[in-house]
Amino acid sequence: MLKMDLQFFSHHKTGGSSSNGRDSAGRRLGTKAADGSSVTAGSIIYRQRGTHIYPGKNVKRGSDDTLFALVDGVVRFERLGRDKRQVSVYTEAETANK
Amino acid sequence: MIKVKFDYKDQVMTGFKLSGHADAGDYGHDIVCAAVSALAITTVNGLSQVANINPLVDQDSKNGGYLAITLQDNDLTNVIAQALLKSFKNGISDVASQYNDYVQIK
Repeated sequence: MLKMDLQFFSHHKTGGSSSNGRDSAGRRLGTKAADGSSVTAGSIIYRQRGTHIYPGKNVKRGSDDTLFALVDGVVRFERLGRDKRQVSVYTEAETANK
Repeated sequence: MIKVKFDYKDQVMTGFKLSGHADAGDYGHDIVCAAVSALAITTVNGLSQVANINPLVDQDSKNGGYLAITLQDNDLTNVIAQALLKSFKNGISDVASQYNDYVQIK
């Protein structure tokens, strides 16, 4: 649920105005859930363009290459082959068996 | 300038991205920002509360000016969700046609 903020797309400067101050928003890409942190199913782990990081166990790639968790669990960034990286989510049971 | 981008997969709308600030007035008096905010936030809340799905929501809650919604693959066939997204596109297109200095659909 989002709060109904009617000035969400307005500059948050109060008082005064200038003809400058326009800037396009950054893409906010990158890690959204750190290694070792616990996440719930559906939460975003990594925002990217293309596959800098590949989806591992219990992780899926969205239509805009976003990586998100399929299950509740702990995030693990791992190596994939010689020069690639992947991110997995391990449930408590899987962590206990490791 | 608020930039609006709709995402599709096989002609099915999978989400949208809004970025930028309207700059159509001072804070608290920016009617274009208010219209876009109301349309977008109502749609996002509608997806979870009316269509009962869990879209991936990415936003800049500190500075505002960035909101990205992505439907999960298994929700793409949800009829209510598609209706809400098309209705949102309808509304934002109307706003953009009248205030094209402040809102642009890519």
